[in-house]
Amino acid sequence: MRRTAVVVVLVVAVVAGLTASLALGAVDIPLQTVIDALTGNADPGPLRKIVLDLRLPRTVEAVAVGAALGVAGALLQGALANPLASPDVIGVTGGAGFGAVLILIVFPGSIALLPVGALFFGLLAAGIVFAIAWAGPNAGGPGRLILAGIAIAALFGAGMTSILVAYPDRVQSALFFIAGGLTSDGWSDLKVVWPYFAVGFAIAIALARPLDRLALGDDVAASLGARPRMIRLLSGVGAALLAAAAASLAGLLGFLGLVVPHAVRLASGTSSHTYVLPVSALGGSALLLAGDTLARTVRAPIEMPVGPFMVVIGVPLFLFLLRRAV
Amino acid sequence: MTESTTPAAPALEARDVRVEIGDKTILHAADLTLEAGRLVAVVGPNGAGKSTLARAVAGMQKTAAGAIHWMGDDLGGLRGRKLALRRAFVPQRARVPDGLTVTEAVRIGRSPHLKPLQRPTRRDNEVVAAAMERTGVTQFAERKLTTLSGGELQRVQIAVALAQDAPVLMADEPTSHLDLGATVAVAKLLRGLADEGLAVMLVAHDLSLAAAVADTVVVMSAGRTVAAGPPLDTLTHERLEQVWGVDASVKAAGHHTALHVAWLGGAADHGDAS
Repeated sequence: MRRTAVVVVLVVAVVAGLTASLALGAVDIPLQTVIDALTGNADPGPLRKIVLDLRLPRTVEAVAVGAALGVAGALLQGALANPLASPDVIGVTGGAGFGAVLILIVFPGSIALLPVGALFFGLLAAGIVFAIAWAGPNAGGPGRLILAGIAIAALFGAGMTSILVAYPDRVQSALFFIAGGLTSDGWSDLKVVWPYFAVGFAIAIALARPLDRLALGDDVAASLGARPRMIRLLSGVGAALLAAAAASLAGLLGFLGLVVPHAVRLASGTSSHTYVLPVSALGGSALLLAGDTLARTVRAPIEMPVGPFMVVIGVPLFLFLLRRAV
Repeated sequence: MTESTTPAAPALEARDVRVEIGDKTILHAADLTLEAGRLVAVVGPNGAGKSTLARAVAGMQKTAAGAIHWMGDDLGGLRGRKLALRRAFVPQRARVPDGLTVTEAVRIGRSPHLKPLQRPTRRDNEVVAAAMERTGVTQFAERKLTTLSGGELQRVQIAVALAQDAPVLMADEPTSHLDLGATVAVAKLLRGLADEGLAVMLVAHDLSLAAAVADTVVVMSAGRTVAAGPPLDTLTHERLEQVWGVDASVKAAGHHTALHVAWLGGAADHGDAS
């Protein structure tokens, strides 16, 4: 069956991506050494250090960020009944970009605060969007949320651009974040943001069936005893946590959140959230692992930002699925 | 399968329901009673508050005043699944999402019977299949909703509500976008469901349809229920004139009903057409 086939392909892709991510890079490490390092059997030495202290945290970050963005996109597309919904739409990406650029350019001495800054401003932007969307007439409707999101994203986007223009000599240091990319700096960032991932994924699991009830519109959902506005708010909160945490680790990779859930739906032929949410997590992980491995190896030892590579892999795949679907 | 025993309390009893949206009063005082095995049609001009009344008693619209009881229990104490097990609501315009098949959509209707993360049981699947069979959508069970005609889609919406397996079925203008054939199919279906023991409420624009299928017609005007009773006693020439401002009358002969309208006013020729 198609659904099972998609899961099998993605699991294979994730395993291949994990392997490549740990083994390939500026130094290629034999697979056996990688396995020995992971199981604690490797001789102490530089290779073991590279695998455990540099590549393993980066690989875990790629899995977490890819899964988070895939799930965030699926949550928002389901909750807003809008195929164009992605973390950009609720302001998270704009806010996180502003927060990161603020630290990178205005306070470069506090570079350790980068993930915190991105996370804080990402969630702040989403918070403002929700506050606007849940006030006034038609509170909590998708149209209101999307329009508020576009306005706030534009505001933070303008803030980010202003900083870049004000400090033209330091723009270089922010480019990597804006293009989107992972770094090999150990476990410290993950230690800060993992609770946000955990809560975000927990919300997503709890919402899988309620989101399906929303598929036939708010009235049918209400007839079935669901609370559409509450489902939408929780989806937004979950997506904001996941996308802000993802941005704080890997910069602005909005493309992933938009495209992965669509690819999953097109390839599997189902829109059921009990399927689309977990499989989008797999798909996002696979795509980001592949993109990041390419970004590290194409011009090794120079590392490229992963964003453009993911687009290079993702867009042709997506266009192929789209062509077949219509 | 008409229910012979009358329950102690009617399926729905709503008195003096008042709804305010912002500082505007949409519904001033509206009454509605629904009983097992009976079909009630709510009629009235555009903006009279028919849909608002339906949504208010269904717990989907906040009320400012009034008493609403489902099977004797106050609506205020019935939330979520508890309410979903007493009434199913078929909205006027349901969303038609991409990529969803008829079967998948009808299964969604079963969700109030499932606990979080619980898988559907054999009984759940049987109810879904029966709902699809009853509404005649089984033959296109695997088609996507986006490929269906208006009439087919409306029957799927009713199947979703039947899968909910509640004793009351409410439908908000289920036939307003349908052609004659599809309208007749939906009318027959709703009448049949009432005869099988459901309490059915239907918001309708078509007075001849209401007269043909309903046991009771409730007339609404400017946010109030102004009359309720057997169709021909309620939809009198005088009332059509008062409420709709039209020179018209409802005629019935057996199962045939017709609305005779002086479309261009003036000529008082009602009564002699046959």
